[in-house]
Amino acid sequence: MPLSEFLARRLLQLIPTLIFILIVVFVLVRLLPGDPTSAILGDRALDADVERINRQLGLDQPIIVQFWLFVKSVFSGDLGNSIVLKLPVTTLIAQRLPTTILLTVMAALIALIMAVPLAFVAALQREKLADASIRGAFQVGLSMPVFYLGLILLTVFGARLQWFPVGGYGDGFLDHLYHLFLPSLTLALSLSAILMRNLRAAIIGVLDAEYVSFAHAKGLAPRLILTRHVLRNALISTVTIFGLSIGTLLSGAVITETVFAIPGAGRLMVDSIYGRDYPVVQGMTLALAVLVSVTFLLTDILQAWLDPRVAR
Amino acid sequence: MKFFKAAALSAAVLLGSTVSALAVERGGVMTYGRYADSLFLDPVLNDANVDIWILSNMYDTLLLPTDDGKGVKPGLASDYKVSDDGLTVTLTLRDGIKFSDGSAITPEDVVFSLDRAINPDNGIWNFLVSSIDSVDSPDAKTVVLHLKHPDPAIIPALTVFNTAIMPKAQFMASAGTTDKEKAEDFQTHPVGSGPFVLQSWDRGSTMKLVRNPYYWDMGEDGKPLPYLDGVTFEVIPDDATRILRLQSGEIDGAEFIPFARVSELKADPSINMQLFPSTKVNYITLNVRPTVDGKENPLANVKVRQAMNYALNKDAIIQIVTQGVGTPMTSFMSTATPLHSGDTPLFPYDPAKAKQLLAEAGYPNGFKTSILALAGNQDDAGITTAMQQMFAAVGIDLEIKQVDNATRTDLYRNGNFDMRTGGWTDDIADPSEITSYFAYSPVIEAMHSGWSNDEVNSLFEQSQSETDPAKRAQEYARIQEIYNSEGPTLPLFETPYPVALRKNVQGFVQIPLGNNIFRSAWLQK
Amino acid sequence: MSVLVRLRPATRLPRPLIAGGAIIGACLILAIFPQLFAPYDPLKMDYVALNQAPSWAHPFGTDNFGRDVLSRIIFAYRIDMQIAIFATVFAFTFGTLLGALVGYAGGRIEALFGRVVDAIITFPFLVLVIAIVSVLGPGLVNMYIAVSVVGWVFYARITAAEIKVQKRLDYADAGRAMGYTHFRIIFRHLLPNAITPAVVYWMTDMALAILLGSSLGYLGLGAQPPAAEWGVQIADGKNFMTTAWWSSVFPGFAIVTTGLGFSLLGDGLAEVLRTRK
Repeated sequence: MPLSEFLARRLLQLIPTLIFILIVVFVLVRLLPGDPTSAILGDRALDADVERINRQLGLDQPIIVQFWLFVKSVFSGDLGNSIVLKLPVTTLIAQRLPTTILLTVMAALIALIMAVPLAFVAALQREKLADASIRGAFQVGLSMPVFYLGLILLTVFGARLQWFPVGGYGDGFLDHLYHLFLPSLTLALSLSAILMRNLRAAIIGVLDAEYVSFAHAKGLAPRLILTRHVLRNALISTVTIFGLSIGTLLSGAVITETVFAIPGAGRLMVDSIYGRDYPVVQGMTLALAVLVSVTFLLTDILQAWLDPRVAR
Repeated sequence: MKFFKAAALSAAVLLGSTVSALAVERGGVMTYGRYADSLFLDPVLNDANVDIWILSNMYDTLLLPTDDGKGVKPGLASDYKVSDDGLTVTLTLRDGIKFSDGSAITPEDVVFSLDRAINPDNGIWNFLVSSIDSVDSPDAKTVVLHLKHPDPAIIPALTVFNTAIMPKAQFMASAGTTDKEKAEDFQTHPVGSGPFVLQSWDRGSTMKLVRNPYYWDMGEDGKPLPYLDGVTFEVIPDDATRILRLQSGEIDGAEFIPFARVSELKADPSINMQLFPSTKVNYITLNVRPTVDGKENPLANVKVRQAMNYALNKDAIIQIVTQGVGTPMTSFMSTATPLHSGDTPLFPYDPAKAKQLLAEAGYPNGFKTSILALAGNQDDAGITTAMQQMFAAVGIDLEIKQVDNATRTDLYRNGNFDMRTGGWTDDIADPSEITSYFAYSPVIEAMHSGWSNDEVNSLFEQSQSETDPAKRAQEYARIQEIYNSEGPTLPLFETPYPVALRKNVQGFVQIPLGNNIFRSAWLQK
Repeated sequence: MSVLVRLRPATRLPRPLIAGGAIIGACLILAIFPQLFAPYDPLKMDYVALNQAPSWAHPFGTDNFGRDVLSRIIFAYRIDMQIAIFATVFAFTFGTLLGALVGYAGGRIEALFGRVVDAIITFPFLVLVIAIVSVLGPGLVNMYIAVSVVGWVFYARITAAEIKVQKRLDYADAGRAMGYTHFRIIFRHLLPNAITPAVVYWMTDMALAILLGSSLGYLGLGAQPPAAEWGVQIADGKNFMTTAWWSSVFPGFAIVTTGLGFSLLGDGLAEVLRTRK
């Protein structure tokens, strides 16, 4: 199947998934106890105020009617207005999503740069000192809660050494990259530990497998064996985990964003859930779903390329 | 108002010491770290502290609150007069006052702004000015309020954010047909009457205010306020990060310092750790309906409530939750609230008395009950965990239910709870607001507790149109006496507003109502 | 472990398996008999000994309620070992089995499965957690449910990808040629070879589950007070990081050592699985 056809088919397949997700989110957020008005007003809310404001927001209508109105506006490219922030949801997505994408991409790159070479070292030096120290170090990284690790990095590299700013997002692209380095590192540490462990096990598995011995027997150079046979096969499950982790990173970097004071999508999402800001939850879910699906698509393409049959 | 965390009056009043003999210096931008961003900066339609507490920097009111939060001083109006029958208030506008775009502030703008504030369809704050029947302007300098009945709280009400003055022409020229749509558009290019005006707002991250060159008030050096060229708000939700940024000098001030860090920052030579007096009270609200969820409710018995009060070691809770910064409560309203009465801490720790009262109430072996706590809130976790231990000692088995804010609100609004944690700050320098919510049952059934007391209700109604200050004080003393002894709460402690500033920041104040006042702030070079 | 010993009595057990087994065994003993090791009642507060530094009386100090940190860490083994196991075991079992079937079937079933995976991974995790907690109330069991609903996807996808590779190898063709049932081919021949990455991931996932407990504890959605749980201990101790580091650092060590135990166990198991074929 040519790549373009493959892509087109996958993108078409995306539509039912998105509709399914939208329906579930739409219903679920409305099933949560409370409503946006009393969530914001808290103690103060008089019953009459809550009813009046909910009526003004159209929340007194049957859920089916609300869904129909929502679907209609989605098709005209309008995701509605935030109830809490009083801004179009599309504007909010445009403000927040690029930050999160940048953060995720940087974290993914840092994780790969750390995990892949060290996994090879650890696997080739199996159960020797290098292996033990690499695994020990990654285990410490993996075992630290993000809010704790982030705070330590901020204290050491931000406040003490002053190499990096103490949180915030900065102005302009290069400044963003500078501000996002420590948070990306925070996210990358646990991801790289997972990748490293998986990759190490996979490399050992492949090294022990018959076809490597066979290649050795055929007299292929060790380096060629490593790159052509070992790496490709070892990468399959690692790529899977990588793709899935990126998916959760995109929507799940809430605590990192909070600790580093980054105005990202995760924080907006959590605030909106707590504030029962239905339009924002719906809109952000939609946007993230598209992003995650694209990530999966890339993983699938990568996997197809790594597949031994294709590689052969 | 209450909403997230906040703070009250402590003995440590440091205000005086910051206004020193130093000559003021002009210029510079002060950067202030906040725990959360604002949501909607419209004086009338906003609904949260994150808006209220900074709005007064952008929009001035006719009268201004004094720095101690109890009094009133002239604002855009230089003078006011209440008629002898208490039914009309006449205000004289200051000469030459202008909006931030240079256009004049006219009586027409004032009438427009107040009409918006009293409109019952607008927002949730109109109850503060519900006594106003109409507003008109007989001449180019005068505005007259006609009241439905005498209102002892009308003068402080004119210092509250929702009566701030906005430019009619510019507001009406905004896009949209309804008032709400216009307000949403107007806040993207606001024109204000306060010392600063919004320049840019990067949601969730940074808000920049610049000085209003047309502001009317004069500084100590005889030139117009404010001293600062601007104020920048940085949103830094994590407490520890906010402190780190302050210590590294990237910001000049930081709000809501966790009490656990106060003594450490007091010792930091580059930091000026302030505990501004506040109207914040922290308490537990009890559901006192005879049955909850179809089951008999022990909390309906006043002796049980008193027993629970005696069973709590409030000093220990103050140590655990506020590291000793908080102070015990002497009434349900804070000591910074006008007409507060009471000078001894309520219900001193006495477990023996608690057991005796429980036995008298018919629960010699205690009972099982539960409390709603805000999930993820460290103070709530500390309070409820300590309560659980203290109650266990008298036989009360307390289950802690951590839920998110909206769920909690839903549960207590429907009367479907045993107990809940709570916090409150006043918005107006008058006891009527807190009393109407806490004690006067027709408003929200005394904090949704289901408590009702005929004497309190009629005293409150009388006090609402009582023009004799002495009589009003008596009425409030009696209300507090009743509520504090048999009301639906477990009062815990009062807390100040913990704000940390760089040593060179001068003249900044957070008043007891919570407003952050930057108009006289300046940076020492 | 005893099963494996019987399977291969002649081979020496891999060293990581022994080390990991020893650590996890010790953790389990602490989890079952905490009262034998803890010097104090983990819930007992001492209002006059808040945030005390480590001393002979309190080797790991006291927390902000005046509770003994060491005793709380020891009692937390019970909860945290539960979290590690119950938050992952369902996801592992269900995910691996389903992944094997889907990977073997391929085609339309796999495409449909891909959509389900998309939907689940994309679905905002916290909406799900908050929804479950709102309906069922906060607590560990509901956390297990929320984590499992999402977690199985990882195992399923990992296993499906591996099975796809394995089924193209010669021995699978041989199995088919010999007329074995699909069931036998999948579970007797393919899965034992394809399961290694899932097992390795599972062991990492156990440490991750404890950490997630910490994040949810941070949001108040995990273990409920006054229960001792490492993640909640760290979250509670965060405010005192500069003044009372011991209340958050020592629980961190417990997570690191337990995580290391699981990780070694995973590597050891992977080795055993490889040498078995």
